[in-house]
Amino acid sequence: MDETKRKVKKRLRNLQSLPTLPPVVTKLTKLLGDDNTTALQLAKVIEKDQVLTGKVLKMVNSAFYGFPRRISTVSNAIVLLGFNVIRTLVITASIFEMMQSEDLSLWEHSLGVAAAAGLLATKLEIPNPEEVTTAGLLHDLGKVVIRAEFPEYQRQIASLIKEEELYTREAESRVLGLDHGEIGRLLTNQWNLPERLIEPIAYHHEVEKARRFKKETAVVHFADIIIRAWGYGSGGDPWVPPLTDKAWKLLRLKEKDLEELMPQLDDRLLDLRFFTMEMQGGGLDQNPPSQS
Amino acid sequence: MTKILLLSRNPRTSTWVEALQGAGFSVETKEDPKKMASEVLERLPDLLILEKSLAPELIADLIFALKENLNLAFLPILLILRETSDFEDELPIDDFFFESANGDEVAARVKLAFARTCRIADNNPLTGLPGNTSILKAIQQKIDSEEEVAFCYVDLDNFKPFNDRYGFARGDEILRLVARLLSNSVQFHAGHRGFVGHVGGDDFVFICPLESVEQICQEIIDSFDRLVPHFLDEEDLERGYFIAKDRRGQIQRFPFPSISIAVVPNYPGKFKHYGEVASVAAQVKKLVKQQPGSAYFIDRRRGPYQVSG
Repeated sequence: MDETKRKVKKRLRNLQSLPTLPPVVTKLTKLLGDDNTTALQLAKVIEKDQVLTGKVLKMVNSAFYGFPRRISTVSNAIVLLGFNVIRTLVITASIFEMMQSEDLSLWEHSLGVAAAAGLLATKLEIPNPEEVTTAGLLHDLGKVVIRAEFPEYQRQIASLIKEEELYTREAESRVLGLDHGEIGRLLTNQWNLPERLIEPIAYHHEVEKARRFKKETAVVHFADIIIRAWGYGSGGDPWVPPLTDKAWKLLRLKEKDLEELMPQLDDRLLDLRFFTMEMQGGGLDQNPPSQS
Repeated sequence: MTKILLLSRNPRTSTWVEALQGAGFSVETKEDPKKMASEVLERLPDLLILEKSLAPELIADLIFALKENLNLAFLPILLILRETSDFEDELPIDDFFFESANGDEVAARVKLAFARTCRIADNNPLTGLPGNTSILKAIQQKIDSEEEVAFCYVDLDNFKPFNDRYGFARGDEILRLVARLLSNSVQFHAGHRGFVGHVGGDDFVFICPLESVEQICQEIIDSFDRLVPHFLDEEDLERGYFIAKDRRGQIQRFPFPSISIAVVPNYPGKFKHYGEVASVAAQVKKLVKQQPGSAYFIDRRRGPYQVSG
């Protein structure tokens, strides 16, 4: 198993690019074809895709641009990279050759966690809730890596989950020697992303390991659980991950807070559902929307 | 006039000279390598074209002397080669062409060599943006063509104490940030009609069409204010200010860095010389600086420039 772990880590270091979902790229290509498109409109679509968001943040935090570990949101990244760089990035994005229903449901799950994390962060008055939203979106990046880069291991993981009724991360550890949190940590660290994004991604199942951004990590942890319990999208197994006592104490949420949050989340998820449906429909429609 | 010194005994020399003169250069031709070398050292040309096979060692020595010892790296040197195998990559030259080249090719290569050295020598090493020479040229060109553009002078407030508190590396990050914001905003709204240059330190200049200047300034200010907290430490953010020494060495509280833009519109006939633009910009800058935080201010006077009191 150590052998597998070494192999996985090596592959991560040489990771070229992760595939994006085709409908997202189609939607962006359409936007880019329209002269009136603003950076803000692009940001709104890019920040709904974990792979493109990861790419944009990786680029802006690279040594070439000169501010490593500083930029943690897509809208700030776009302002710094400029329209033309974003255009190139979208045009060169690789897409999933065959989009499977599991990929779509993981995408929906990530979007849901992003929305829930953003609402929670705002409620708890964490500064820059937009960053916590981004961390929520990226929290399962490790799973995308496993699916895209190690399909053979992914099959083993899936059957372990089914046969032995394991949590995804237990099955991942058994097959690979490390789980999606650790893979997410290695990758985002290699990309020079800010620590405030890395910790929630790395420790969303192990909140006690977070050092500097405990609260942010606890928020993503709890958002993950809410969305799993809600049944919005899928994280790869049918179970809701256990709530860490430590996270619950850190959050200090009251019943009243939750009562207020849930209807808000319900609204947001409904909006997102429309968005994902539009995107999937948009993937089939090749004609640019007519402007009058 | 731009002077080119050409060392060549090639039969095509006269067609090259003709093409170069047609492109507006003054050309002096030498056939003797030694005479050429002494000519170079006595009266420096703006560009050198050398037929290497005439005196390989002397020419190599001359090239090294010019490029490395005399700090004349900006002086473009082109070699005339017989074939590709004559090319030596240890020679610090700027370009080469073959003996068979026609006049148009030679003229094009010479122009490119000038453009390239101008870019490289002038660009700011930190941000890669064009420096003073290019900025002055761009301003003068807009004055001469009487285009309705805005000359925008950008600088940062509290940047010196910021450097003092956070160090130069962090200060450089802020300057790169400003460079990116200006370039992206101007490029997006003005495309090839825009220009961005870096005078040095925290001083930048951009030029854009007058009709989009307010939008661009507002966008730059909004982005700067939104991004600057990412370059500050948590404790300062919580306090809402930072502590550093002022110009007199006194410990003092400072607000976070902000961005000021002095906008000087160019109307036909308003200016004759770029120096006039700079002096109006200095007046406008005083007004911008009176406002706390990030701000821009547009000089609305339309009349021709007058020397003030």
